[in-house]
Amino acid sequence: MIPVRAYWRLLRKYLRPLRARVVLLAVLLFTGIAFQVVNPQLIRAFIDGAQEGADMSTLLSYAAVFVLLAVGHQALSVTSTYFAEQVGWTATNEMRAALAEHLLDLDMSFHKTKTPGELIERIDGDVTTLSNFFSAFVIHVVGNSVLLASVIFLMWREHPLIGIGMTAFALVAGLLMIGLQAVAIPWWRAVRGKRAEFFGFLGEQLGGTEDIRANGAVPYMMHRFTLIHREWLPMEVRGRWGFSMLWATSIAVYVFGLALVFGLGSRLLTAGTITIGSVYLVFHYTELIRHPIDQIRTQMEDLQKAGAGIARVEELFAARTSLPEMGTRHLPDGPLAIEFDGVSFAYRDEASDGESVLEDVELDLAPGRVLGLLGRTGSGKSTMARLITRLYDPSDGVIRIGGIDLRDVERADRRARIGMVTQEVQLFRATVRENLTFFDERVDDERIWQVLLDLGLGDWVFGLSEGLDTMLESGSGGLSAGQAQLLAFARIFLRDPGVVILDEASSRLDPATEVLIERAVDRLLENRTGIVIAHRLATVDRADDILILERGRIVELGPRRELAADPETRFATLLRTGMEELLA
Amino acid sequence: MIAKDIPTAQLGLGLIKYQRGRYLLNVLTWASIWVMPMIPALITKAFFDRITGEATAGFNVPTLVMFVVVYAVGRIAVMFLGMWNDAHLMFRIGTLMRRNMLERIFELPGAQSMKESPGEAISRFRDDVDENVESFSWTVDMIGLFVFSGLAVWILVGIDGTLTALVFGPSVAVVYLAAIARHRIRRYREASRHATGRITEALGETFGSVQAIKVAGAEPSMIAHFRMLNDRRRVAAIKDKVLTAMLESLFWNTINVGTGIILIVAAGAMRTGEFTVGEFAVFVYFLGFVTDAGFFLGLFIARYQQASVSFGRMVELMGDAPPMRLVKPISLHLTGDLEAPDVVPPHLAPLEVLEVRDLTFHYPDTDDGIEDVSFAVPAGSFTVITGRVGAGKTTLLRAILGLVEPQRGDVLWNDEVVEQPAEFFIPPRSAYTPQVPRLFSMTLMENLLMGRRDPETEVKDAVASAVMEPDVENMPEGLATLVGPMGVRLSGGQIQRSATARMFVRRPDLLVFDDVSSALDVETERVLWERLFRERSGVTSLVVSHRHPALQRANQIVVMHQGRVAAIGRLNDLLATSPEFRALWEGEEG
Repeated sequence: MIPVRAYWRLLRKYLRPLRARVVLLAVLLFTGIAFQVVNPQLIRAFIDGAQEGADMSTLLSYAAVFVLLAVGHQALSVTSTYFAEQVGWTATNEMRAALAEHLLDLDMSFHKTKTPGELIERIDGDVTTLSNFFSAFVIHVVGNSVLLASVIFLMWREHPLIGIGMTAFALVAGLLMIGLQAVAIPWWRAVRGKRAEFFGFLGEQLGGTEDIRANGAVPYMMHRFTLIHREWLPMEVRGRWGFSMLWATSIAVYVFGLALVFGLGSRLLTAGTITIGSVYLVFHYTELIRHPIDQIRTQMEDLQKAGAGIARVEELFAARTSLPEMGTRHLPDGPLAIEFDGVSFAYRDEASDGESVLEDVELDLAPGRVLGLLGRTGSGKSTMARLITRLYDPSDGVIRIGGIDLRDVERADRRARIGMVTQEVQLFRATVRENLTFFDERVDDERIWQVLLDLGLGDWVFGLSEGLDTMLESGSGGLSAGQAQLLAFARIFLRDPGVVILDEASSRLDPATEVLIERAVDRLLENRTGIVIAHRLATVDRADDILILERGRIVELGPRRELAADPETRFATLLRTGMEELLA
Repeated sequence: MIAKDIPTAQLGLGLIKYQRGRYLLNVLTWASIWVMPMIPALITKAFFDRITGEATAGFNVPTLVMFVVVYAVGRIAVMFLGMWNDAHLMFRIGTLMRRNMLERIFELPGAQSMKESPGEAISRFRDDVDENVESFSWTVDMIGLFVFSGLAVWILVGIDGTLTALVFGPSVAVVYLAAIARHRIRRYREASRHATGRITEALGETFGSVQAIKVAGAEPSMIAHFRMLNDRRRVAAIKDKVLTAMLESLFWNTINVGTGIILIVAAGAMRTGEFTVGEFAVFVYFLGFVTDAGFFLGLFIARYQQASVSFGRMVELMGDAPPMRLVKPISLHLTGDLEAPDVVPPHLAPLEVLEVRDLTFHYPDTDDGIEDVSFAVPAGSFTVITGRVGAGKTTLLRAILGLVEPQRGDVLWNDEVVEQPAEFFIPPRSAYTPQVPRLFSMTLMENLLMGRRDPETEVKDAVASAVMEPDVENMPEGLATLVGPMGVRLSGGQIQRSATARMFVRRPDLLVFDDVSSALDVETERVLWERLFRERSGVTSLVVSHRHPALQRANQIVVMHQGRVAAIGRLNDLLATSPEFRALWEGEEG
């Protein structure tokens, strides 16, 4: 059966702020339902009148009232469309934003399993199915049920037998529709799941056309397109069965009513219990309940889809981050100390068997010092960076920043004070300003220009057709790797953190351009604690300390000058022989 | 907003032709579903005739009840058939449009295929397809309704010609109103679709860069931005919806007023005796259907405009393909046997020499690009392209491979000009690893094969050549490991080497690498080149790099500077003659 309580909770949560509009909408819709009942009566009165030869003025006034009511009804329906759309969009937008926020808060292990394309469909597509649920569902179902109940009440007045028959039948039909509605929810849920899978697939394809084309994989990807659609088609067809079953029920209800009128009516008439006029009236009422039944049926069809959407949305809301944000403490001002106290870490997902990426790492970096982090690909360097930025929590041990356990630091504070630049620079299709501030409108232009000038980007932005308002393409389109990298630096500068991590930040730059960036890096590390991850020795020239990682363990740690001076150390060997020996 | 004229009607007809049989069945079933309610009306008439004693000869009540039940069973059966057929029909035409769009996007030069971001494009694959599938299903109702109202008109004219003309008056007005509102309907629809595109785009970009957003603590501002976009769409969508609702209302009102007039005229006629009660009843009964038809026609004109907007957006996505490409009839293989495609095309002309002549390409509206680039790559050689950031190295590779469309110049394979480079430069002739390679949400094995059926040993060889075997050994599932969306479960270096292995599996004559150094340390890169020489000898390599191990191995180095070739030669010559190269070489040493 449908989880009525869950639906109610949702309605309350998202409609409460819209209370006034919902009430107005309810009034409009109820009035509309009343109009629908009255208008056919008028036509009937008119026809009866014409048949009985009523005088022309009476007929004219019937016609005039009919037209007036019809026009009024239309005005009402436009107004209620407007309010229903307002309520629907406002409520679903609220839900979209809440869902997006919730998903952004989930940890990286969640995002490693979900493609952006799939999340687009889940946040935008699934939620959209709820629009009618929020704006009109309850009102329509309640309104039409009231209508139905009053017609049945009128039947009771004609004859108890007819009343009992219709009541029993309406109850059975209602329960049947509710039951059938619930039966189809998992079917639609499967459709929505498949849709999300397809859009996830599609997003990847659209982002990887170059790889696919140049490696001759187009036929294969089209084949996968076909495979997804082959699974999708039967699901869609099955979902339609849900609709069909509801519709069949409503046809059966109507026909049963008709048969009841025929059978019972003729019998009672013969017995002399009721008049022919009553039989006609009952017949007329049967016609009258057709409309509310159809309305309820349409709403139930919609609820089949909405129910599937609700279930999928709730499922996402139920996902919990493994990194709860409970911290309330604030980091001290200025450069921050970094301390690793017996830290071990293992990724727990399919791509790794839980083997430790970091093992018992001990590090004590004083505020303002710069640490050069060296090691081969996969030695755990980037993992250290991800732990310091709390993208993950250590499996064992404690990380302290500025002397405070990282888990106890308030989130906003942590994000503001710990900055990281990676080699992947993600740009948004938005203006230069929005790219620099992540759409934060509170950052003023003066400060942005200051940072751009400091980084030597001033001339470039000044030369753009619309300066800070110039649109950038998404991905890295339109910018050279060097420019993108400098923009990433500018993002960090704007926040003025106490810790800066550069994770292979300059590796995509050619050596000549890298020299130009050196100055920017110097500025960035000035009076901050820094961690510079590199596989090029020149990059760690500015480091005070050197740490060499191998398979997740520290194999060397110490002040750079001391290590360089001692010919026995790995670092000194590296310096002598170049990077070739790093493997040793 | 939309540059091309969209042949909306032809596109619609194309879709109908594509599913002729199902479409016809749909028209038949749905027309019956709408017309069948006339039957209980007739049965009811018989019932009342019977019980009032007007007809003693007709069916008795139990028979009539049976008829009603038979009617119900019949209508339900037709309805199930109609729903089933409709589901198939709609799904197929939606799939056809999606498939044709995707296929076309793959045909476009890969690196500049879409002006739209993937997120934006998704809204065209989703909302615009859904929208037009719905409009398409309307045409079925339209046809059913018109056939029926045609019949009705024929009957009505038999009763009273003038009145019938009056019945049609409002329909003409409705069509006129819809035509007037045409431009506004279009404009509102475009605005609403555009706003949706911005939302899918923002979601795509946000969830494509979760880590960056988290680290920057930018969640609140990103969500605020998302809310703002949502709000814009709300405004645009409500305008769009309310306009349609207003038109609908206007249509109904026109029809209601018309009905009022007809009632009065008919009543007058009846009172004077020109009109029998029976005729009047028929008139009023059919009136509903005819006015419905007028209403639907008016709404259809509005829908047509909206469908045209969606078609326009979809066609726009397909570059400069003719619009009819969107509905090109192809087999979708949705049911029945399906064979995986043979993705290993025959190889006819093994590489002897690859030559680039005066190749010139500029990105639109910028000076960035390459100018008059010429050089030759002999079979079996190792050619390195080097230069500063922005010198045009990646652009050069893309221009050679047809991933962008050069404005001038030729690429020659064994002295023959390659006419369609994008179709030509694929395995087994060549394979390519971009600077930031993409993997897909599949297992590692599937990513390496991408539909090929090479034995696992060959895949393992390729993995070993790409210096990836220790990583694979460490994965609990080995080659069956799921790599996650775009490969995010792997590190940058692992993605890079997986893409390299993906290239090796294809055993092409020409390997094209765009800067593997961004994700590999020097040592790994050195081992990679070493294994390439040892295990894949005879292969021709074209490599963008600025690392010493690559430069030292090169048979030929092409130094790019500001989009032009600054120097070509071997390492020692260039060190002696090219100041630009010396700067790069020494910068590397630090």
